Amino acid sequence: MPHQCTSCGRTFPDGSKEMLSGCPDCGGNKFQFKPANATENAGPAAEADEASDSAAGADGTPASDSGPSDGTRPTADGEVASASDEGAAARGPNNAADATPDDRADPTPDDAVAGAASTTGSDGTEQIADRSDEDMAQASARSEVVSPDELDRASRDVDSAETSEPTDEESKPGIDALRDELNDQFESIRIVSPGQYELNLMELYDRQEYIISLQEDGRYVIEMPDAWGIDDE
Amino acid sequence: MGLLTNLRDSISRVTDGLFAADEPKRIGIYGPPNAGKTTLANRIARDWTGDAVGPESHIPHETRRARRKEGVEIERNGRTVTIDIVDTPGVTTKVDYKEFLDHDMEKDDAVRRSREATEGVAEAMHWLREDVDGVIYVLDSTSDPFTQVNTMLIGIIESQDLPALILANKTDLPGSDVQQIANAFPQHETIPLSALEGDNMDEVYTKIAEYFG
Repeated sequence: MPHQCTSCGRTFPDGSKEMLSGCPDCGGNKFQFKPANATENAGPAAEADEASDSAAGADGTPASDSGPSDGTRPTADGEVASASDEGAAARGPNNAADATPDDRADPTPDDAVAGAASTTGSDGTEQIADRSDEDMAQASARSEVVSPDELDRASRDVDSAETSEPTDEESKPGIDALRDELNDQFESIRIVSPGQYELNLMELYDRQEYIISLQEDGRYVIEMPDAWGIDDE
Repeated sequence: MGLLTNLRDSISRVTDGLFAADEPKRIGIYGPPNAGKTTLANRIARDWTGDAVGPESHIPHETRRARRKEGVEIERNGRTVTIDIVDTPGVTTKVDYKEFLDHDMEKDDAVRRSREATEGVAEAMHWLREDVDGVIYVLDSTSDPFTQVNTMLIGIIESQDLPALILANKTDLPGSDVQQIANAFPQHETIPLSALEGDNMDEVYTKIAEYFG
């Protein structure tokens, strides 16, 4: 769940090796990392998922077609967006209005649900406008190739992403849990807190691709191995 | 016709690159932070090309990107050895911005330096995997060489069958203990030197020519 392709929104479970040679769907090489404790919005996500499921179900198109076939549970934003985008594209703009789930029994629609609903009624770019800042960055990445300029920025710009130092009481359980989780993973660089890193040298050495830019918000850029090198593995 | 000529040129360039036996060897200068890698790289580059490779500093992680100096021609015993030098960022398992705060650095700068240093370690490890033909491993002879980083890197270098020269640097400092480094890696030859003062550089160049020529 924690890794998400910023180009197409496909998500990968922590420890997945699928993404190591780039996103299998779109070939993107820019991913966003979402630690386990950042997925608390899975609730709204599940609702949104339901919404798009029922919307897609209305005309008999199974929404799960667009999900990953490896049985991993799709995360909120990317998969929902791609599922409903595809659905909307297939149905055309007229049917898209019908697909809005008016009969849903949820009296307090939150942001994620609103986002998903507006997706079904409009194209992908409008849906982006409803998102938070982070997701807007993701959304723009979804439609463009990362520019050299952004790569450059990624290696320098830390102020905007800087978070306040968490207090011990707050950070202890989160970091410990995260670290336990990561101990079983292939993780090669751990961000302990902004400016504090732990590196797994063997993992860094063993990976074919390498990280060329880190950002404090969990985003990172990897350089893709050459296509002809993949066969050698 | 121009197109054909271009095509033929690029094909011959590719084949030259693949098969040339006298292609300069790319030698990575590796080691933990603050061992004197850049000081050594600058010393070699200045001695043989007149240029420097990069800025030196007492603050760890001054080198945060690998820097290359190509075509360094070293003359030894009447023959010339040409190498490309890659000065790599210091390799470590932990980077903490707090260590930079002691060097009169603002927190923002320290955090940025820390992040760049981490990227630098990733880059150094990547170079080790992909792009070097030999390694000059620089150690600070005033520090304990029995560290996880040194053991791991030397292990990787050995597993790759890369020719490696171990340099015990900073022999000009009072606490220097070259023997301790020789004991730590008995399977390799250890050459003492002071890259800062230029002490024993003759032997270093002789060994470079011998190992990487």
